[in-house]
Amino acid sequence: MTQPLYEVRDVSKSYGSVIALSGVSLKIHAGEVIGLVGDNGAGKSTLVKVLSGAHQPSEGTVILEGTERKWNSPHDALVAGVETLYQDSGLAPHLSVSANVFLGRERYVKGLLGKLGFLAQKEMDRVAHENLDRVGIAVPQSNRSVSQLSGGQRQAVAIGRAVSWASKVIILDEPTNHLGARQAGEVLSVIKAAKERGLGVIFISHTLPHVLQVTDRIVVLRLGKIVADAPTSTFDAESLLGTITGLID
Amino acid sequence: MSNLVNRAKSIAGNQQALLLLVLIAMIAFFTSRNSIFFSNAVFGNIISDWAPIVLIAIGETFVIISGGIDLSVGSTVAISGVVAAFSMRSLTEHGHGSTQTLIVGFFVSVATGILVGAINAFLITKTNVVPFIATLVTMGAGSGLAIVFTGGGPIGGGPDAAIQLSVPKVGPFSYPGLAIVALVIVLGFFLHKARFGRYIYAIGSNEFAARAAGINTKAYLAKIYILSGALAGMAGYYYYLRLGCGAPTSGLGGELQAIAAVVIGGAALSGGEGRISGTVLGALILTTVTSGLIIINVAANWKQVVVAILIAAAVLLQEARAKGSSSKLLSNLFKKKN
Ligand SMILES: Nc1ncnc2c1ncn2[C@@H]1O[C@H](COP(=O)(O)OP(=O)(O)OP(=O)(O)O)[C@@H](O)[C@H]1O
Ligand SMILES: [Mg+2]
Repeated sequence: MTQPLYEVRDVSKSYGSVIALSGVSLKIHAGEVIGLVGDNGAGKSTLVKVLSGAHQPSEGTVILEGTERKWNSPHDALVAGVETLYQDSGLAPHLSVSANVFLGRERYVKGLLGKLGFLAQKEMDRVAHENLDRVGIAVPQSNRSVSQLSGGQRQAVAIGRAVSWASKVIILDEPTNHLGARQAGEVLSVIKAAKERGLGVIFISHTLPHVLQVTDRIVVLRLGKIVADAPTSTFDAESLLGTITGLID
Repeated sequence: MSNLVNRAKSIAGNQQALLLLVLIAMIAFFTSRNSIFFSNAVFGNIISDWAPIVLIAIGETFVIISGGIDLSVGSTVAISGVVAAFSMRSLTEHGHGSTQTLIVGFFVSVATGILVGAINAFLITKTNVVPFIATLVTMGAGSGLAIVFTGGGPIGGGPDAAIQLSVPKVGPFSYPGLAIVALVIVLGFFLHKARFGRYIYAIGSNEFAARAAGINTKAYLAKIYILSGALAGMAGYYYYLRLGCGAPTSGLGGELQAIAAVVIGGAALSGGEGRISGTVLGALILTTVTSGLIIINVAANWKQVVVAILIAAAVLLQEARAKGSSSKLLSNLFKKKN
């Protein structure tokens, strides 16, 4: 098999005396969608934070395209092409859509003013709109404040931002939360489109039909350990639920 | 009529326009009570009061947008004015010329402000003390030291030329007043058009998101507390020019005036919201009320009541706007009138 795009080996993470992850290994290939599932508190978000550079693992290694990496901050991972949509939204509601899309990656006007940090706002408004459009997210106006958007639209912007910047891996922690059926469907199409672009996608959700619908492989976490890692075709709704809850081993 | 309703709606949604209307209404009211109010002398006085308040209020605007608070600005005005006064007295005693002395005094004053700001920044970003407590500490220490250093009285003995600088030269503006206007405009561009401001809004809006986007939030927070201190240092120097001496009571209560100006200007204490133009008008309204009440012979203590009402109105308006109902509220009012 080809070299994995992104990989963690024997990762453990504890918060004081709480062991949130113990000895977790996971591989993802380009153009692959992995479903990461597990009960509340299973350690999914913790694994996401390790993958995205928000937390350093207590033990274990993180490997991107065959090279061992140490993320000191989420920014390190971003620069390397790993984008994350956090469960507890990563948008700044007081800023506009485009300001959010470009947060940390602003474009500047030319010349001296640009060196002083003056922003090319019109250009960012336009490009943000194009980028969101390209990944299949329709947002009314990119100069509108995020606080004026509906919950679903906000989520769409957050996903659109992550997908449009990701060059290698995209991690989506419960992206369909709080979404209506139609918007959730749109998120699933965005995931499929990202896969077509050759990105590795890690999709976390409690909505098992969604997971069964878009993923190639499913990884089940229980109490900080991986209890199953198999192609999606080997699961059905019932067996997946059983594996998550521990009724099936 | 619907045209008027629409216009009322857009004004209610636009804090600046509303503030301008309030200001004009105030000027009209005070003038109608005493026509002396509408004069160059009074406007010159209002602008002289406004200049140092707007300096510290602009620093407070940056801080409040970031989701913090700076309680130390008033006492920083006092301590930096006092330290600058000592340095200028000493230079004058040693026979240095007044221009040179005034320039050194300016830098001493700003450096003192920066030092206080840096202490705030250290406490907040390195030891993780919440801004309210950190700046409460420096506020107490600053005003205490200003009194200890001076024994409570003003420190004079500096260059005589100082006080001439605070005389209005261009309309109601003195030269230092004009410099303050220019500085405020430049800072407005950095807040609203440049990366510096963008990141401060982002931090105040959602610090986690800002950090996740790669913004060095602590470095930015440190910069704004230092900026706030530097501006308070300039205000301390401004009071020195105005009084011709450094008084430990200059800037007394300045933090509350600054916060009031920022809140009246439409910023939210929860962060992420606020504009320089709002703060400029908020500070102007505050100083206009102060002068106006004196001129129409209202007891000075009424000023606090009026300011309290203005703050309450600003907060209510903000609440209404947050719910998206300020325009609805207004258009309902108009409907009833029809
Ligand atoms: N910051 C923290 N401090 C202490 N314990 C934490 C912290 N974050 C998570 N935990 C603990 O680590 C464990 C794993 O939590 P995590 O958030 O990774 O679960 P999850 O699988 O994402 O759950 P959910 O489906 O509810 O989002 C839990 O026992 C949780 O209480
Ligand atoms: Mg979670």
